[in-house]
Amino acid sequence: MKNTIKQIFHSGKFLFGFVIFMFILLTVLIYPIFVTADPLQMIGQGNFFKPGTYVSVEESALEKSYNLQIPKQFSKLEMVLDIDTRANIQNFLIKQAGVAESEIDVTDAEGLVALWKANYDPNTKYKGLTTAKRKALKRLDNQITAAMKDSGVIVAEKDEEGNLKQSKIIKDTDYVNIKDVTTKTFILGTDNFGRDVLTELVAATKSSLKIGLLAGLIATAIGLLLGLLAGYMGGLADNIIIFITNLFTVIPSFVILILISYSVGDKARGIVMVGVIIGLTSWPWTTRSVRSQVISLRNRDHVNLSKLSGHSMFRIIFTDILPYIASYVVMAMILQISSGILAEAQLSMIGLGPATTKTATLGLMMQWAMQYSAHLNGSWWAYFPVVILIALISFSLNLMNTGMDQVFNPQLRD
Amino acid sequence: MKKNLQKVMSLLCVSALSLSMLAGCGGGSNSGTTTTETPAATEETSTATEEAPAAEETTEEAAAEEEETTEEATEEEAAEEETEEAADDTAAADGESTPRNETLYEAGQQWGTINDWNPMSANSNNGLALSANDVARELVYETLFMFNPLDGKLYPLLGSEYSWNDDQTELTIKLNPDAKWSDGSAFTAEDVAYTYATHVKYQSSQGSDFSTYIDSVEATDDTTVVVKAKVADGKAVNPLKVTSILNTMYMLQKAYLQTVEERNGEDADKVKQDTMEDLVHTGPYAPYISNDQKAVLQRDDNYWGQAASMWGKLPVPKYIAHTIYKDNAAGQVALSQGEVDVCQQFITDVQNMWLEDDLPISTWLDEAPYGQCEAIPSMFFNVERPGLDQKEVRRAIAMAVDYEQIIASAMSGQSPTFDEYPRSVVGPTDGERKYVDFDAIADLQWKNADVDGANALLDEAGIKDTDGDGIREYNGENLSFKAECPTGWSDWNASMEIVAAAGEKIGIDIQTYFPEASSFYDDMTTCNFDICMWSAPGAGVMNPYSKGMFYFSEEYAKLASNWSGNFGHYMNDDAEKILEAIPTETDEAKLKEYYTELSRILLDECPAVALMYRPQLFYAVNESVWTNFPAADDGRNIPPTDCTDGYGIAALYDLELVE
Repeated sequence: MKNTIKQIFHSGKFLFGFVIFMFILLTVLIYPIFVTADPLQMIGQGNFFKPGTYVSVEESALEKSYNLQIPKQFSKLEMVLDIDTRANIQNFLIKQAGVAESEIDVTDAEGLVALWKANYDPNTKYKGLTTAKRKALKRLDNQITAAMKDSGVIVAEKDEEGNLKQSKIIKDTDYVNIKDVTTKTFILGTDNFGRDVLTELVAATKSSLKIGLLAGLIATAIGLLLGLLAGYMGGLADNIIIFITNLFTVIPSFVILILISYSVGDKARGIVMVGVIIGLTSWPWTTRSVRSQVISLRNRDHVNLSKLSGHSMFRIIFTDILPYIASYVVMAMILQISSGILAEAQLSMIGLGPATTKTATLGLMMQWAMQYSAHLNGSWWAYFPVVILIALISFSLNLMNTGMDQVFNPQLRD
Repeated sequence: MKKNLQKVMSLLCVSALSLSMLAGCGGGSNSGTTTTETPAATEETSTATEEAPAAEETTEEAAAEEEETTEEATEEEAAEEETEEAADDTAAADGESTPRNETLYEAGQQWGTINDWNPMSANSNNGLALSANDVARELVYETLFMFNPLDGKLYPLLGSEYSWNDDQTELTIKLNPDAKWSDGSAFTAEDVAYTYATHVKYQSSQGSDFSTYIDSVEATDDTTVVVKAKVADGKAVNPLKVTSILNTMYMLQKAYLQTVEERNGEDADKVKQDTMEDLVHTGPYAPYISNDQKAVLQRDDNYWGQAASMWGKLPVPKYIAHTIYKDNAAGQVALSQGEVDVCQQFITDVQNMWLEDDLPISTWLDEAPYGQCEAIPSMFFNVERPGLDQKEVRRAIAMAVDYEQIIASAMSGQSPTFDEYPRSVVGPTDGERKYVDFDAIADLQWKNADVDGANALLDEAGIKDTDGDGIREYNGENLSFKAECPTGWSDWNASMEIVAAAGEKIGIDIQTYFPEASSFYDDMTTCNFDICMWSAPGAGVMNPYSKGMFYFSEEYAKLASNWSGNFGHYMNDDAEKILEAIPTETDEAKLKEYYTELSRILLDECPAVALMYRPQLFYAVNESVWTNFPAADDGRNIPPTDCTDGYGIAALYDLELVE
């Protein structure tokens, strides 16, 4: 046994897969110790806030500021006027304002802005522009006005009569130390409900792993039991069992999965129930392969010897047959776990997984990201980490499987 | 910064391409420095985009001739052109393509192959032509008057004017003498009378609805129709409802209706199921193409509305096309690529389309809530269910819900908040809000996500968790409810999830349940639900009365199949009395009193709770091909009803091609 384990860990593939899997597992276990927030708490008011650190604006404005004479690398105006904008301004000046092309020098920001200010009036409805363009120009005008403003924003407070009273002036040399103010970091942004994606992702991975493990155990247990019985007993028992197995193989298991999940109803569909449902529908192929292995084993000499010695059927199965296919069963279970996780994702994607407000699962995260078209808005953080994680889990499990295969299968042994 | 990077990358690509071209040609080295080329290059790309429609036209004429890819084209544009070309190819293969610069593409109205053109049909899926609500779709069939939700007024269409007699029992309608059917015959008062008579005779949903309030519709001469209201105690039962026939009933031709009746042997079911593909109509557009890929309407160049008494001209687009998209996402992609001009779909973070992606897309308003919000999606409690029959339970759920979260995330900010427009029976428009005295009901409003208040309310009412499972009991039964709305309605689904999350915080188990739309409709219309979501009607001639009916009407509750409101069967005699009194009341002060009282009952008893405000129709336009769409600040008083509904159709006459 010890030797076998040593051998397995010598396999590079297995080790690689094992390291990835353990990394995921440890993260799932350790992260919640440090971040105790409820993963389903809706923090952000809005859809898909970008990843990054959010700083309290109020505190930044009121907190003690440090005066840093940092030479400005670029003027605000230069920042507003990128190539695109300059071309837009030029276009507007020529087409709508009727300025001669020769008068416009797009490389001179100050001159361009002066021309713009002289010719653009936000309240005029210029002909030959689409509404979208008109609105864009209005926004540009606001940007330019803001960029041209001198340093200093006044912070004012309302007194009892409702009059504004100046309380502070913020200059463009004012900085705050990020340690002085309240910040909140969303490493992976927020999702459509405004929940922290990273925290949710960890919780989701945990429940997906639970579902996968449960489904894998159940499927393997059923598959193993039926396979052993059918293979060893043969005859009528074999016929009956293989008939049922064939029935389940022929009907796509995903369809059964959908039907069962639907009929169970939303109320009962927790993590355990979904795991059990997936387990109950994915055993047939394990049965078939275990059965064929057992058939080849049952006429071996040592089995026959046991039979002659009068050992009971169960003793023969568990001591003379099971050990020979144990490695295979473990590998099959790993694959079952991996496909269980995928099945959960698929189920949740069509809204038949666990309830959104009670548990986070990888499939649910994908479903809501899709519903709120994160893939069209460029909000990659809402779905890409989930995809990567699902891929990593099944990749690591499959890698472990192949690694073990190389150790146990004499034909593949180096 | 991202934009800059993109630009630099595209410039790099452009220069690499042109350099390789030059190298390929050998000699002719007139390559300038990148800086001087910059503005010119941008200009060229922009003209290339503008030329796209013209180029497309030639493609179609020459039947899928391969387009010359200009070296200036950036990668993005090339990809775009490819998809457009591919689309053109398939269309050309059908022999059913329409020139892009004569076609206005819509999205979000038609989701399957059109099954009929019958305004009396109960199971029509024809969203492109038939939408006989307050703001009726006026493309194929027309109503007598067009409703404008912006000012709440009726504008003449087939009818030119209407007036009530002094005691509000007779509505006299003058018809436009220029109005004609698509077969050239004149539109007469006989047609109006016969249309109504047929609706009643075959008990279409409109027919059975109106026959409660209308005694008869009679033609007194060719252009005059008199609608006699049902009278009780010398007063019309409901003059408001009678008026709404003006803008909700599509007019059908008497001769054509007789043909339809004859070929169906006057059998009610058969008449209502007739597909009416050989329709005779008055509207400016006629069916042209209809299959599982798209539905196209073609302009009728003999349309009567070009008479000076109506529009004085024809609508600008020759075709109105609606591609059948698989889902919202497909429609949204098409909009962003300029394949769709007007999009009636909910788009998450719609402002990013112009702020970040720089697309020529705009909405009714430039800032949140982006649209003209009139409807009030609300959740109904089934008051026949144990637990929900207690007003404390209903009110506690209502108090605990985080409405700001619903508006910010589920609605993506496309709704005003309840701080801006406090809850009541009326919508967020000024025209309706003048009917409620908000100071009088201010003490009944609750603050957002008031979990503590809700818990206290339940504790006080003695509804507590006694068995320690975290869920409160009422009469020994756990309070456990299902909140349902149709699957795939993403903003509603998310709202229900937020309601469920609120339930968790106050010890009431709320699960969400999103069945297929058809089974949801079964549940909702037969009161077989715990909590369900449906939208209070938007603007209309009967508002805010119809919203009051929506929340309280006992009459609706008694219907066997109730599509109209009060789905939870809440009965309140005070409310019922007010609803009976409102239609005949003309004194504004009295009306204000009534609506304030209704709002008070709504907030106190919580038979239903408003979750957000929402536009009746979503509206986002892409100005790649067409421009001059209605916008809030354009001073034209044309509503953002996708250029198809009610007075919004006026926009079709002002559209211009982008230069």
